[in-house]
Amino acid sequence: MKLKLNINNRFYNTNIDGDESLLDVLRNIGFKSVKKGCDTGTCGVCSVLINGKPTLSCQFLAARAPGHKILTVEGLGKKADKIVDVIVNEGADQCGYCGPALVLTTYAMKKELKNPTIEKINHYLAGNLCRCSGYEGQLRGIKKYMGVK
Amino acid sequence: MRFDKFLQPESFRSALEILTKDSKSVILGGTTFLRLSDKKYSTGIDLSNLGLDYIKENNNQIEIGAYTHLRTIEIDPVINKYFGNLIPKSLENLIGIQFRNNATIGGAIFGRLGFTEIITALLVLDCELEFEENGLVPFSEFISNWNIKRDILKKIIIKKEKGNCSYHMLRNSNADFAILSVAVSNFDNIKIAVGTRPSIAKLSEKASQIINSDNNNIDEAANMVAEEFKFGKDLRAEGKYRKMIAPVLVKRALLEVLK
Repeated sequence: MKLKLNINNRFYNTNIDGDESLLDVLRNIGFKSVKKGCDTGTCGVCSVLINGKPTLSCQFLAARAPGHKILTVEGLGKKADKIVDVIVNEGADQCGYCGPALVLTTYAMKKELKNPTIEKINHYLAGNLCRCSGYEGQLRGIKKYMGVK
Repeated sequence: MRFDKFLQPESFRSALEILTKDSKSVILGGTTFLRLSDKKYSTGIDLSNLGLDYIKENNNQIEIGAYTHLRTIEIDPVINKYFGNLIPKSLENLIGIQFRNNATIGGAIFGRLGFTEIITALLVLDCELEFEENGLVPFSEFISNWNIKRDILKKIIIKKEKGNCSYHMLRNSNADFAILSVAVSNFDNIKIAVGTRPSIAKLSEKASQIINSDNNNIDEAANMVAEEFKFGKDLRAEGKYRKMIAPVLVKRALLEVLK
């Protein structure tokens, strides 16, 4: 089936199978920041923002995507740099595989949480697994970005 | 999960027609758990165009559309206003926000999966389901018998009631599925539900009778739960462990609702 997808505020025409995941379609188009990890909805590395909400692209059918705004880390531009910097400054970038999804989720979290606390941050990021287990460093950086002491 | 055709019907009737005429078709919810199966379907029926993503508050009840995402329910002010934090608590530890932003309440309920904690919570509320073919069905009836298999769940209707509710669960780690979940409500009388045993959640009969006959019988009622339910084994816990933990969680919940 033919689709027109709004990815990072640009339209892409693509041809897909009805049961294809958004993850596979995004990677086929060329958005390689969207990682294929567990492919079972557990690890969070395939997260993208759909209408501003962090969503697992491995579970989201591409056929449902028309009419929605999809944002990958490529579309964040300089807004991503701020988040990357606080994580890198804590030495928490490590292998980088979970990075794009973590940056996107953190960006969405900043917009959503009105009064962030460490507990709320931990809860919001619970679905972002880091295979290097660099959580403490990531949290130190993200706390700074969120303005939480 | 694989399917050959992807259809987005424009009415419930046409969706039901496809579903009933083609035994290999499937209604797509959030496709979170459905996607994990190896099954091959002929047609995936997507109801996104039918306006099922909503939470409405009426005078006596709250209506939740079947395509409402679990995360939307978890943080919705109307849902949070009633029943204490029973419903949000039953959702907030399910995997991660990214998962709950996609999983739908209809999919969570219709799958009747043992680990679905929201089923435990809804069992202790006065709750009905509206189907296209079968009309209104009490939630507990839908959960306890499997007569309805090929129908379209349109909405969940929860009666607003005054009273206390409590939800407790135990899990090995944050974002994992729960080992055990317990919900208790105290409106006109006390209802106790126990879930992830690991089979599907169920309402207690004997323990509820004990506590409703005398609200001081907290220990007796909590211990009855261990006898009343069957507790099985899965990769997260042994049946014996579940049996020991259940009375502890039920006691905590009863103490909370009887405050």
